[in-house]
Amino acid sequence: MAGTVDAESATLSDKSSAVSRSGARDGGPTSLSVGPLAAWRELLIFRGARRPRQELWVSVVGFALVLGAWIVATESGFVHPQILPSPRAVVEAWWRMFLDNDYLADIGVSVARVWIAFLTSAIIAIPMGVLMSGYRGVNALFEPLIDFIRYLPVPALVPLTLIWLGIGEGSKIMLLWIGTFFQLVLLVADDARRVPKEFIETGRTLGASDAALMKDILLRAMLPNMVDSLRITLGWCWTYLIVAEIVASTSGIGFQIWTARRFGKTPEVFAGILMIGIIGLVSDQAIRFLHRRWFRYLH
Amino acid sequence: MSGADFIQFRTLTKEFQAPDGSPIRVVDPIGLTICEGEFVVFVGPSGCGKTTVMRMVGGLEAPSSGEIYLAGKRVTGPSRDKGMVFQSYSSFPWLTVLGNIRFGMKYRRDIPAAEKDRIARRYLDLVGLTPFADYTINRISGGMRQRVAIARTLAADPLVLLMDEPFGALDALSRERLQIQLMDLRRAERKTVIFVTHDVDEAVLLADRIIVFSARPARVIEDIPVAAMLPEKRSIDIIDSPEFRRIRRDVLSRIRNEEVEAEEGAGQP
Repeated sequence: MAGTVDAESATLSDKSSAVSRSGARDGGPTSLSVGPLAAWRELLIFRGARRPRQELWVSVVGFALVLGAWIVATESGFVHPQILPSPRAVVEAWWRMFLDNDYLADIGVSVARVWIAFLTSAIIAIPMGVLMSGYRGVNALFEPLIDFIRYLPVPALVPLTLIWLGIGEGSKIMLLWIGTFFQLVLLVADDARRVPKEFIETGRTLGASDAALMKDILLRAMLPNMVDSLRITLGWCWTYLIVAEIVASTSGIGFQIWTARRFGKTPEVFAGILMIGIIGLVSDQAIRFLHRRWFRYLH
Repeated sequence: MSGADFIQFRTLTKEFQAPDGSPIRVVDPIGLTICEGEFVVFVGPSGCGKTTVMRMVGGLEAPSSGEIYLAGKRVTGPSRDKGMVFQSYSSFPWLTVLGNIRFGMKYRRDIPAAEKDRIARRYLDLVGLTPFADYTINRISGGMRQRVAIARTLAADPLVLLMDEPFGALDALSRERLQIQLMDLRRAERKTVIFVTHDVDEAVLLADRIIVFSARPARVIEDIPVAAMLPEKRSIDIIDSPEFRRIRRDVLSRIRNEEVEAEEGAGQP
């Protein structure tokens, strides 16, 4: 960035850095050899240059290989369908569940449980994590406790939640809440601690109160990392959902998986598992997309 | 209170705790006065504690004993009176250039919004960033980011401007340009400035007065009235003048002696 001395040349250097970036993509430092194979060879060079198109193809091939192996193994009769149903059977089961079993209602119930638990833990965890990062007293009070609870295996708490809250919605949401809250608090506190102290001191020298520092500077500075932390804990929430729905439940994706297992309907079990995977993938990508929109200044 | 004792250091000391709990003296008793409107540069061997001294003026670090008075008032913590420009993370990436400058007045309830806007635009113009008002921080160069930080700090209208190696991370050309701009700005604004640097050329070029600190624990070992030896309006060419080179040589040799002594001291535990 030698050219960015003055205001005028800054735009110029923006352009030149854009050029050098695309230059790195088309011909990185190691790919001096030319030809159609050079780009592919780059993929196996240690820390080689980026090759988005080739990388995409490799990912697609990876997916296709797994799917292909699955099809071959099942359609050829090599594996018993009771053990591993064919992709076709899974799609058919899926379709059946939507038409006959009111699967959409189960999906709705599961999504609602996850989001209620996730949002309530976020609403408490964010201010608490911020306060823990800011005040040593608050941190000393809560961190050892949270660290202890965090290591309790969530499935072991199922009997307790049932004793406390019965078999209704309360016990399920509480289980998810326990699974996410204690992790999220520590993640948020870490995000807050990573905010450079220069930002805080700048705020102080401009006359900001503690509350203003947290609201106008700390939260703003940590927000991109915190959205990532939220995205990760949302994923964990889905993991615990199945634990919650397998025990004493009469609705939800997990309940459907468990019921299907009892009647030996392996395709339905697979359909349920894939359904969770798809919902997880979609919500994860949605948050990533929002992250790029909201925090454009980072890119 | 103004004039000759605008900032007073009264037998100021600072100790840090070593990991084993024993105190480490970083600042020996310092007595010093700084005049209003003076541009004072702190230099010294690296790690000598000059930044700590400046941070104590800013109220960001508490003295172990002694006190600092700014315009007759004892410094007890950070406030709007003491503006700070850091070397890195000096401006907020989630705000635009203009947004950052306006942030300097965010907590001033006594200024109406329209007036804040006018002031922000004035400083934006003063640092030459008007065409970049709506740029985000990650899209501008390091030198421009420092100009944003300076404009923001000036917009807050502090009594003293504290600059902690503000140009330390810039390339040579950007640094030179910012030094010239800072000199112009200061003639326009007449602020009291304390500027910490390890670049002796920068110190001589900018300073009305250079304070040379000893190796740790920091002690004032030289107080050079540069304003009495160099013209007030300086161009970059002054670097080649004999006067400039003489001051530079003096400062360098003092620092060099200190570093040698510090190393010899460290060799005998």
